[in-house]
Amino acid sequence: MKKRRLLSLMTAAAMAGSLAACGGGNQGGETTPAAAGGGETAATTATETVEAKEGQTVMRWSIWDKDLTAYYQPLIDEFEKQNPDLKIEMVDLGSSDYQTVLGTQLTGSGSDFDIVTIKDVPGYTTLVNKGVLEPLDEYIAKDNVDLAAFKGLTDQITVEDKLYELPFRSDFWVVYYNKDVFDAAGVDYPTNDMTFDQYDELARKLTVDVPGQEVYGAHYHTWRSAVQLFGILDGKNTILDGTYDFLKPYYEMVLAEQEDGICQDYATLKTSNLHYSGAFSQGNVGMMNMGTWFIATMIDKIKSGEYTDCANWGIVKYPHADGVEPGSTLATITALSIPASAPHKEDAWKFVKFVCGEEGAEIIAATGNIPALMSDGIADTISSKDGFPADDGSKEALQTANLYLEMPVSAKSSEIEIVLNEAHDNIMTGNTSIDEGIADMNEKVGAILGGGQ
Amino acid sequence: MGKKTIDPALVQSKLSVWEPRLAELQRQAEAETDPKKKLKLGKQVDRTRDKIRQIKTGERFSRQTKRDMVAYSFILPNFIGFAVFTLGPVIFAFVLAFLKWDGNSPMEFAGFGNFALMIGNTRFLASLRNTVIYCVATVPLTLAVALGLAVLLNQKIKGRNFFRTVSFFPYVASLVAVAAVWNMLFSPAKSGPINMVLYSLGVAAKSLPKWSADKDWVMFTVVLFSVWKNMGYYMVIYLAGLQGVNGELYEACALDGANTWQRFWYITLPQLRPTTFFVTIMLTINCFKVYDIVYMLAGGSVGVLNESAIVLVYHIYEEAFRNWNLGYASAVAMVLFLMVLAITLVQFRGEKKYAN
Repeated sequence: MKKRRLLSLMTAAAMAGSLAACGGGNQGGETTPAAAGGGETAATTATETVEAKEGQTVMRWSIWDKDLTAYYQPLIDEFEKQNPDLKIEMVDLGSSDYQTVLGTQLTGSGSDFDIVTIKDVPGYTTLVNKGVLEPLDEYIAKDNVDLAAFKGLTDQITVEDKLYELPFRSDFWVVYYNKDVFDAAGVDYPTNDMTFDQYDELARKLTVDVPGQEVYGAHYHTWRSAVQLFGILDGKNTILDGTYDFLKPYYEMVLAEQEDGICQDYATLKTSNLHYSGAFSQGNVGMMNMGTWFIATMIDKIKSGEYTDCANWGIVKYPHADGVEPGSTLATITALSIPASAPHKEDAWKFVKFVCGEEGAEIIAATGNIPALMSDGIADTISSKDGFPADDGSKEALQTANLYLEMPVSAKSSEIEIVLNEAHDNIMTGNTSIDEGIADMNEKVGAILGGGQ
Repeated sequence: MGKKTIDPALVQSKLSVWEPRLAELQRQAEAETDPKKKLKLGKQVDRTRDKIRQIKTGERFSRQTKRDMVAYSFILPNFIGFAVFTLGPVIFAFVLAFLKWDGNSPMEFAGFGNFALMIGNTRFLASLRNTVIYCVATVPLTLAVALGLAVLLNQKIKGRNFFRTVSFFPYVASLVAVAAVWNMLFSPAKSGPINMVLYSLGVAAKSLPKWSADKDWVMFTVVLFSVWKNMGYYMVIYLAGLQGVNGELYEACALDGANTWQRFWYITLPQLRPTTFFVTIMLTINCFKVYDIVYMLAGGSVGVLNESAIVLVYHIYEEAFRNWNLGYASAVAMVLFLMVLAITLVQFRGEKKYAN
């Protein structure tokens, strides 16, 4: 009797426990990763309620990192000044799983977003495939928007002759370097026209391997783009080719650097989840390749006194392969779209046109970010911003020759992304050899490209 | 209801049907010898009596119905929540498993196509393998550690409460925080604390494991972490079980000259069988649902699990919300459900056999 009562009590307790666990584990498949991945995204949709006056239309705009991004509010302020009858309400979906959350929000017909920000190309293709975005071609034709100003970027994101997003930011990759590290080693600063061999040599010269006072000549973040995409810069291959043997020399270079302690060990970086800004700001990294989105962060954090060990910094163009014009680099675009379910499409288009147009570009550039619409005047605005490195090389580094998207548009891009990520991880941790990793990519991507579902 | 007029003629005509029926039932019940059937008939008699009383008073509901309705009204608030948030989605997932759907486009019927896709999907096969390995390793280890801790901390030792709290701590600590600490301890670098120990024990620097970044060691790390994190919870359940064991049994056993081991083997373990059964089932189910631990330990900054660490629930998540194959993901969820169901049924069978 006693035992029985005890057992039933325990069962009741455990059932309550398992129900709670269900809520957090199984059922919550859509919420857990966001909560687990970032921590800061736990409070997923933080909405800034905007008071609408009589006759005003309120439009909802999905964004991430509201407090960390300097240009959202200036853009909205200027737009609302020009359009007194329109109000923009920002909805922060959190950065770590933004595209997944947005995809969930736009699923079904319950969403009331008028404008959505698209973070990356795989996310864009996913949403286009789902058919939840409005084609913008008619609006573009109606208002005579000149797409040539986007320097061919819009061609790369056209899906079956239709354009579903308009880019407002176009970040590209450069090499950040810490002048103090170069001075300490007595090495000349890098230049805008270095080859990969020169880059490797430079990194090796900077390295100090005294335990406790290590200086790393180079730093590669754990993203696949940081190493793998060196390979596509000669313009001969793309990352969707299905054969990846061209990646071998670059993996060999980076793995050798890792072996010799020129850069930090990938496995350690991965498990410690070290952010690239944390790595660079410690002041013991000579060069780090990263996107231009990091410029605004550097300027802000140095100004606020948070980064003290990398205050003396500069940027140069990406290294280039032999016989290729310097200035070829990777690009990633951030764009605006109008969901098919948007309640106020015409007004939303006004906002998209404003943000992606010249006025928007000026505002974005003034915060130290790179707008998609890039002209000499806008480049000057960025480089003349207080806190941007003063040397001519850094200014010149903002001029690019060829831009290759980190992930081109393809219906299979998110599946291919998984394969490439996994192979990158296996090669970098030493779980497989470079040849095995490449063979793995060839086989799996080949299967994805060859056989449709 | 009070205002309702009763037509005596109608009542009479109804009673003329029901009263003979009651008499007939009563007679049958008298004559019946099988106790089970007798009980059943008795119930029928009660119901018929109730019906006659209802006809006589002209009430809309019989007493029994009223009682039932009160009971259901107590269940209702909880049931509505359950139906909307659990039962509905579960049924929907069952249906989805046979459809092809991305959440927006029209649904297409896929039959068993989703299940066929699984067979050729290397990520599914890897996740199935890893989940099974994880369960097979975690369940017995956690059981053993939790039981050991419970037996130790059930004795009158100094600082018992302190050690109980310490053992329970991992269970309540934030997963994100302790996973970070764990990854630091098990850092893949040569300078990581655990690797440092291994190195000084003579393991060559080249062959030091990279723990959660190593494809051969990642599941080991995950299992170790899970056991450590969950042992406290099951220890508490075992402690509760130990409180329920009758002390006289130990006395009798001691009189028979049993040593400590024999007392554990012949008294404690059999007496704890219901607890062990319960813990095993909960553990197995929880193990099959594992997701967060693997994600935190092996996900890295991109949050993508490799084939060396992917588990079923992650595969479901990835297919559903990254690739938007909702039908396929539901089919995988069905497979997971069937596996858990089968194992639980087998365990229930086994328990019945043992108990008898």
